Amino acid sequence: MEVLKENEEEEQREEEELKALEISDKQHDMERKLSVDQACTPNDVLDFDWSSIDTSQLPSSYKTNSPKEKKLLRIADNFLQQYAHLCPDRKPLLLHPVNECGVEKFVSTTVRPTLLPYTELYDWEGCASFVSDYLTMEPLKSPIAPPSSLYSPTTILKYQRGNCFDFSVLLCSMLIGAGYDAYCVNGYATHNICTMDQTLEVCPLLRKPQEVPKEGEKKSSKYRVKPPPNLQSKFELQQEAKKEAETEAAGEKKERKEEEKATETEKPKCDPLYGLRVHAWVLVLSGKREVPETFFINPFTGNSHSTTDKQFLGIESIWNHRNYWVNMQDCWNGCKDLIFDLGDSVRWEFMLLETDEPHLLLQDVEEKKLFDRDMDNAEKEEEDRRFDMPPSWVARIQISPKEFQTRSPQGRKVILYKKARLEKWAPYLNRNGLVQRLSVYADSHCKIVEVREWFKNREDKLEMREVNRQTQLTTEHFHPGHLLGLKAHIYTSMEPETERTMEFYNKARADGLQKRVDNASEMTEYFVGRDDFLYFRHVEFGKRVKKIHMAGTRTDIKPQPIVQIKECFHRNLEKPADEDVAERIFLITEERINLTYHLNDKYITASKKNFLKRAERDRKGNETIMTPEMCITYQVGSSKTDKKLLHQYRLLQKLIEEEKQLKREVWESATEVREILKIREDEEADIKLTFSIYDRERHEKRRQESEAMNNLMEDDLLGQEEQDLDYLAPFLIQIGNTEKMSKWQASRIKDDCLTDFKHRLTHKANIIQARLEKEIEELQKKDWCYHENRNQLSMEDEADFLTYCSETMLRIRILALRLEREKQMAPQKYLALEEKLRKDPRLNVHLSHP
Amino acid sequence: MSQLYNTIEPNVISEEMVQKAVEEQSQDDAGQLAKREGINFKDVTELQLSFRNILQIDNLWQFENLTKLQLDNNIIEKIEALESLVHLLWLDLSFNNIEVIEGLDTLVKLQDLSLYNNRISKIEHMDALQDLQIFSIGKNNLATLEDVIYLRRFKNLRTLNLKGNPLCDDEQYAPFTVAHLPELVYLDFKLVSDTMREAAILKYQYSTEPLKQVEAQALAQLEEKQAKQNELEYHETAFVEYLNGSFLFESMYEEDAEAARLAYLPGVDDLLQPYRKEFVSVCENLFNYGLKQYEKREAEVSDFYESLHEALTANQEQGRKIILEFENRNKRTLDEIQNVSSYDIAESKLAEYNEDILQLSETLMTLEMQTADQLEELIKDFERNIAVLVSTFIENVQGMMAQCRDLENHHHEKLLEISINTLEKSVKNELDKDLPDNVRMLFVDKNTIVNAVNASHDIHLLKIDNREGDILSNAHRWQASVTEKALQNEIDRNRNRVKEIIQYIDHLQEELENTETLKPPE
Repeated sequence: MEVLKENEEEEQREEEELKALEISDKQHDMERKLSVDQACTPNDVLDFDWSSIDTSQLPSSYKTNSPKEKKLLRIADNFLQQYAHLCPDRKPLLLHPVNECGVEKFVSTTVRPTLLPYTELYDWEGCASFVSDYLTMEPLKSPIAPPSSLYSPTTILKYQRGNCFDFSVLLCSMLIGAGYDAYCVNGYATHNICTMDQTLEVCPLLRKPQEVPKEGEKKSSKYRVKPPPNLQSKFELQQEAKKEAETEAAGEKKERKEEEKATETEKPKCDPLYGLRVHAWVLVLSGKREVPETFFINPFTGNSHSTTDKQFLGIESIWNHRNYWVNMQDCWNGCKDLIFDLGDSVRWEFMLLETDEPHLLLQDVEEKKLFDRDMDNAEKEEEDRRFDMPPSWVARIQISPKEFQTRSPQGRKVILYKKARLEKWAPYLNRNGLVQRLSVYADSHCKIVEVREWFKNREDKLEMREVNRQTQLTTEHFHPGHLLGLKAHIYTSMEPETERTMEFYNKARADGLQKRVDNASEMTEYFVGRDDFLYFRHVEFGKRVKKIHMAGTRTDIKPQPIVQIKECFHRNLEKPADEDVAERIFLITEERINLTYHLNDKYITASKKNFLKRAERDRKGNETIMTPEMCITYQVGSSKTDKKLLHQYRLLQKLIEEEKQLKREVWESATEVREILKIREDEEADIKLTFSIYDRERHEKRRQESEAMNNLMEDDLLGQEEQDLDYLAPFLIQIGNTEKMSKWQASRIKDDCLTDFKHRLTHKANIIQARLEKEIEELQKKDWCYHENRNQLSMEDEADFLTYCSETMLRIRILALRLEREKQMAPQKYLALEEKLRKDPRLNVHLSHP
Repeated sequence: MSQLYNTIEPNVISEEMVQKAVEEQSQDDAGQLAKREGINFKDVTELQLSFRNILQIDNLWQFENLTKLQLDNNIIEKIEALESLVHLLWLDLSFNNIEVIEGLDTLVKLQDLSLYNNRISKIEHMDALQDLQIFSIGKNNLATLEDVIYLRRFKNLRTLNLKGNPLCDDEQYAPFTVAHLPELVYLDFKLVSDTMREAAILKYQYSTEPLKQVEAQALAQLEEKQAKQNELEYHETAFVEYLNGSFLFESMYEEDAEAARLAYLPGVDDLLQPYRKEFVSVCENLFNYGLKQYEKREAEVSDFYESLHEALTANQEQGRKIILEFENRNKRTLDEIQNVSSYDIAESKLAEYNEDILQLSETLMTLEMQTADQLEELIKDFERNIAVLVSTFIENVQGMMAQCRDLENHHHEKLLEISINTLEKSVKNELDKDLPDNVRMLFVDKNTIVNAVNASHDIHLLKIDNREGDILSNAHRWQASVTEKALQNEIDRNRNRVKEIIQYIDHLQEELENTETLKPPE
């Protein structure tokens, strides 16, 4: 019963949770509606009113400042005053903007280091792309001043939108949580960076991998074959080279001019606010998590930039959850010359004196400087600076799996790149499994040249489809695991016997097929890793003989006639070269078989054998006997073939056999192509998605099933327990043979059982009674003692006694209650057992018939 | 021998019998074809000579490539005349009258040997059959169980048949065999179960353990010996064998009877010790130098062959390209010539083709000439470098040997001095008493002692000279052989290539002629 109750409770709780989810879903929907509008006009942002957000649910740390925080704010004010005094020409620092509840909070305490439980978020790439996908970007209210407010990362996550500072704080929190040495940066950047304008950038998916120039290891040996004497006139060569150089130079000039033109048109318009635009991004210092070099992350795009990137124009200050540093270096040349050694107090003015984080590199210098500073500065400041950063006021950052998977608001995101448009969707959002689509344009806007689509979780393992609109060529890539090991499929139409290329995972196939190029008149197959060293097979088909086909006969089953089959083999080192076939051509219509053998070491001509099958056919009926004319042989290294006709006969027999086999294989290949096409068509017609069995939400059905199973199992268990306790067993054993039981015996068993049960009940009641009496007795004793020595007792003893009294009273009450219930229940239980016994089949037989 | 056979004459394997047997084996089309062409015994891989009442094996020497030979159910008494059948994998000699296992020493590839139903009483003379997998020696006269131990040397033996031998009467026969041959899978046509094997091994643990130890020891010794041999060979190729120690010094004193006597002189011992030390150190220098030089020479040679190989591969590719171009160009020419309607066109095409063939021949030959020239130069360079290497080596060796000689001369002078002093003392009778008599004999007069010392010195010098001579002659021989080999290789290659080209051109022309005959002029 208790178990059941618990179950109920759980269910209730779940229901509550579900309700909560629904509520949040509703909120979600609201937002979606909002952001749908938003997506249409990404530049117009002010239609989300931050002032309308609900702050009543937020914890108290959001609404008030702890004493420590207050002190910190004082320190910050002090710092700001000094700073303003020392650097009057610099802009005021962003130190303690108000949060969503209107309370001033120091920026460092807004950073809340958190490690989220998703493996993708253990790396900075994952975190950065998550933040850039998850949040919708809002520009700053004023592009040249830092915002007056900075909301908590939790609020930002909740409403899924924010400006660059919100992005940076969230990303920084996640990175520090993941173990990186990350900092929020308040600085200046170009227009493109600040407004998340990527239209001038090439899409990262289109970027070609940089070719690593291969340095051929050229060992200079003193034994070099001298090249044959060159008999060409050097003068002529020179003249030619001159001419070529001239034309080339002319061509280059032209090209350069064109390029310049092109770049000019592409160049962004001159920005009047260049260098003034405020931006926030994340700095990751080298050292932790095996980061080899310090770099920036732009939180809008999630891309990493080198610290010398020209787009970042200056740094005002940086902070993490521990401290706040002001950049004292000159930024006239962007961030190029900045040195990110935060221990260097000349370059980076810190706000709080670090106590626990020595910079190993410059420890000595730092200590010295500290020492100097100690001497110079006033003691009060010293004290202030030794202040520890209070813990963050922000609540734990939490992201539910669903939110994590859905990523961007409404699960869709569009990024415009240079001549390309990238759309992203959350998995399972589209019914066909589409998660990413990249459209490439020929020029700035007009025509689509190429569309690439990425899919996820498809049952047919389709990974990516590339459609070239110009050539009408479609390329489909598959994950391993597709039927027949299909890896890629390049085609223009799904009709059989048109031009297509199919690539396969050769390791998944028994025949090692890697690629099959197919069109109406020929088929080429490439193999890898076969035992018979075959790597290439080319089949030429002839025209179908036109027949008057009757109604009902299916023409497509009839295979095309084969004209020629050519096979190439790798060298099998176990055989001598002139017995190892390199290439064999079956000229089927001509009834010839040509064999070419591998090259022998140092030879330049290969042995050949040409067989003619026709002669054999002529003597049909007679004995098929080999004639020397049937085989023309060229054997390298020996003038005349000493091989006997017998061997050639055997070889020919074998080849004829293999030819038959080959024809079959070719036919099978053609059928396979048709089969794959059919399967692909079926799959495309009815797209199915796979779900992980651990995916609770999508496996609704499965979950229900499993729950039902669980319940069933529990019921079973309970039933089993009941069954296991056979209350008649001890009595039946006394009698021995149960089948030959007389009525008398049966009734006796029943009586025995009942009396025994009665005994047990009374015994139980007695035990409870005894305990109750004991407790009462003890209490009385204590009470008596207490009253006796009342005057000598101290306050403490008295308190002890009182607590003891109350405890004992509780126990007594419980025991009394149980006794009461036992007394009430006993007759009922007795009756129940009697009823049960009457119904028991073993006794029933004997008792029911009087 | 049973009564039945008495009427039949015992046979010896004769040519006729073999011929007949071979012909009987092939009855199909291929066989007939073969019969018409005549059979070369070298091509036969299987031969069956069962139930032919053969008494003596003979006339099988021609079947060099035989892999399977059946001689069962005859009356063979002696295994013989099988020496040339080195490729034999399967030999069946069951149901014969063999008494001794012998004559199998050359059949190293043998995997399956059947001696079932013979009169063998001892397993022996089978050490060469290291690949033996199946051995059937049932129904023989094997009596001692210990014979099984002999089979331990066959590491691949998996199937053994011993049934029907007297030794099988022993109760312990099966466990004993299994324990001593733990790799056995089938014994007497039955699978050896794991439980049985474990039990047997446990049972005979104490008798197999020492066997194993002995075997392991023998193996270790063999390996050690091998390693030593390898090292010595390595030193020999570096021409400095036995120089990494006091071998040379010892050998100098080995045949020197005088030195032993002179060693008794007072002070000689003190002289000898440092002399020996210095001498050995010079030897060791020489040894190390020799090894270094050897590495250098090897590097030089491999460098040469590497570039040679590179050049040859490039040349091969070039030639191959030319030929492939030609073949692609003329793939259909012959067909066209055959199918052309008018004679004139055919004729002109023929001429064209012929011209092309000649052109090809010309191109290939030119290429070959060029390559030959290039390689000749290469080889000359190589020869020169090798000569320089060897001469530096020799110079340095001579220098070090001169050091040895100097040491010896020095030693000799000192020794002579001591001898003279001792002689003077002996004349003055101031000599210690404890010199042996034969030493005393030296001091009869000045000549004797000087002669003795000189003789010792001469022997030493001779040894040093001999050693030096050895090194020098070895080095020269090596130089000659290396250069000779390079040159010879090149000559062979050149000839082969020229031959190949000519043959190929011949083949093309022949093909052309054949097509011409098919098309009679109008």
